[in-house]
Amino acid sequence: MNPRTRRALEFVLDHLVWFMLLFVLVVFSLFIPHYFQLGIFANIIEASSVLGVMSIGLALVIIAGHMDLSVESVAALSAMAVGILFCSAGIGIGLDIQPAWLMVPISLLIAIIVGGLIGLSNGYFIVKMKMDAFIITLASYIWVRGLVLAISGGRSAQDLAPAIRWFGIQRLLGLPLTAWIAIACFVAFSLLMAKTPFGRHLVMIGGNETATFRAGIHVKRNLIIAFMLAGAIAGLAGWLLTIRTSGATANLGIGLLFNAFAAVVIGGVSLKGGVGALPGVYAGVLLLSAINTAINLMGLPANYTQVIHGLLVLAAVLLDSFKQTLRLKLA
Amino acid sequence: MSEPLLVLDDVTKNYGAIQALKGISFSIGRGEVVALLGDNGAGKSTLVKIISGGLEPTSGRMLFEGKEFLARSPSEAKDAGIETVYQDLSLCTNVDVVANFFMGREITRKVLGVPVLDERAMEGVVAKALADAGTRIPSLRANVEHLSGGQRQAIELNRFVHWGGKLVLLDEPFAALGVEQTRRGLDMIRKVASQGIGVVIITHIMQQAFQVADRIVVIRQGVVAGDVATSQTSPDAVINMITGETLAGAGAASVAR
Repeated sequence: MNPRTRRALEFVLDHLVWFMLLFVLVVFSLFIPHYFQLGIFANIIEASSVLGVMSIGLALVIIAGHMDLSVESVAALSAMAVGILFCSAGIGIGLDIQPAWLMVPISLLIAIIVGGLIGLSNGYFIVKMKMDAFIITLASYIWVRGLVLAISGGRSAQDLAPAIRWFGIQRLLGLPLTAWIAIACFVAFSLLMAKTPFGRHLVMIGGNETATFRAGIHVKRNLIIAFMLAGAIAGLAGWLLTIRTSGATANLGIGLLFNAFAAVVIGGVSLKGGVGALPGVYAGVLLLSAINTAINLMGLPANYTQVIHGLLVLAAVLLDSFKQTLRLKLA
Repeated sequence: MSEPLLVLDDVTKNYGAIQALKGISFSIGRGEVVALLGDNGAGKSTLVKIISGGLEPTSGRMLFEGKEFLARSPSEAKDAGIETVYQDLSLCTNVDVVANFFMGREITRKVLGVPVLDERAMEGVVAKALADAGTRIPSLRANVEHLSGGQRQAIELNRFVHWGGKLVLLDEPFAALGVEQTRRGLDMIRKVASQGIGVVIITHIMQQAFQVADRIVVIRQGVVAGDVATSQTSPDAVINMITGETLAGAGAASVAR
C-alpha cells in the first residue's frame, strides 16, 4: 500500500462518523420525499442542541477515562431551578428583575452554578475519595432527579419570562439562538481539548493515568475540573431545555442520558478512555437527529426510534473494534 | 569528590508490619553512575520511588545538593531536577510521540490570554533530540501504540536525556531493548553522566552494571549489603553480596547485624 492511500484511509477512519452522516443525509434526501430542504436541515440542528451540549460534558469525562451518568438529572435540576425562579405560572415564583435582559445572564449563571456544584461533588468523591465513577454518578443520577421531584412536588412551572424566552424564538441565519449556543460550545470545547495543555492532559490521563502522574501532571485537579465542567455544561443544557419548553416539568429530559451515550459512542469516543474528539461527537448528535427527523417524515411510529438508536450504538461499537483491527493492519 | 548530589541517610520504609527498607544510606555524586543491584524484593524499586516522589519514607532523611529534601509527589521531584524512567513504561500510547515527549511540560504560546499548544515548536525539539540520539522513528505524529517496544523505550530514554535535570533514576530501562539498542542506551547514560548529571541505574544484568557504572551498590533485605567502586570488584564478588554468601568487598557499608 503506498503512503498516499494509507493516509487517505487513515483520514476516512478518523472521520468515519462524518462520512456516515453525509451518507445518511444523501440517502434520506434521495428516498424520503420533502427531506431535502433547508428547513429540515435547520430543524435537525435545532433539535440536537440540548442533546449536543449535554454530550460535550459526557464526552469530556469519558475521554479522561471516567464516566458521568448524572448529566441528565443535573440538566433537569438546573432547568427546574431556572423554571421555578423565572416562570410566572404553575410553581414558578415569577422573579422579576429590571432591566429585563439581566434575567438572561442571571438565569444562565444559576443553571451553570447548580450544575457545576453537583459536578464538583461527583469529582470530589471520585477523585479525592477514590470511589468508582459509575457508582457515584449513578447515585447522583438518582438523588438529583429525586431532588427535582421533591422541590417541584411533581408539578411543573410554565410561562418563562419573555426576556429569556426570546432566546428560543430569535433566529440568526435561519437557526435559533439556542442552536448557535450549542455550536459555539462545540467549537469552544473542541479547541480546548485539541489545542490547550488542559485538553491534552485530559486525553493523556484517559490513556495512562499512572504515566501522567509520574510526569508531574496534576491528575486529581484536572479530573475534578473535568467533572465540574461536565456538570456545568449539563446545567447549560438544562437552561436550553427550559427555554425550549418555556418552563420545567419534573420529568424533563428523561432518557436524554442514553441518547447522549449513543451520540458519544457513535462519535468515536472509546468508553475505555483516551480516544475521541468533540467534532466527532457533534456529528454523532446530528446523525441521531437526522434519523429522528427521517422517522418523523416517513410517518413511522415514534416507538421505532429507540430500536434504531439501540442498533446504531451496537453498530458504532462493532465499527470501533473493526477500526482497531484495520488500524493495526495499517501500522 | 566534592559535595555529593544526593545523600540518603538511614532511609526506612514500612508497609504495615513489613519492613521493606530497614535503613539505607549511600550517596551519589555529580556525574557519577551508580548501579543499584539486588535480588527481587530487595527494595530497589521502593527506594527509587522514595527518591522520585512516588512514595514517602517512614523515617530517615535525604539531602539533595546539600539541602534537606523530601518529594511528596513526582512533580516536586521533577521541579527539584530528578528525572525517573520506570520499569513499566510511562508512555501514553493514545497520543503521538511529540505529546509523550513533552508530557506535562508542553510549549505554549498565548492566544488571547489562553495558553495554546505550540505544536510546531515542540515537533522541532523532538525531531532534533531524536536525531541527536540516532533514534529513527517513522513519524513523530504517529500514536505511540503503533510503535514497537524498542522504539517506545527509545523515546523514554531520549526524553530523560533531553530533560536531563540533575539526577536521573533508571529502573531497569533496557528490559525491552535489543543488543544494539542496549549498547546505544548505555552510551546515552555515559553521555548524560559526562554532563555532570548523577545517574542511578537499577539492573539485573551484571554485565551492564560493569559496563556503565562507576560504583555498585548492592541492596539485600532492605539494607545496603555492599558499596564498592566498579574497578575494585568483580562480578563474582557482587553476586556473593547479592545472595549474601559472604560480605567480602562490602567496603564501608554499614551492615547492621
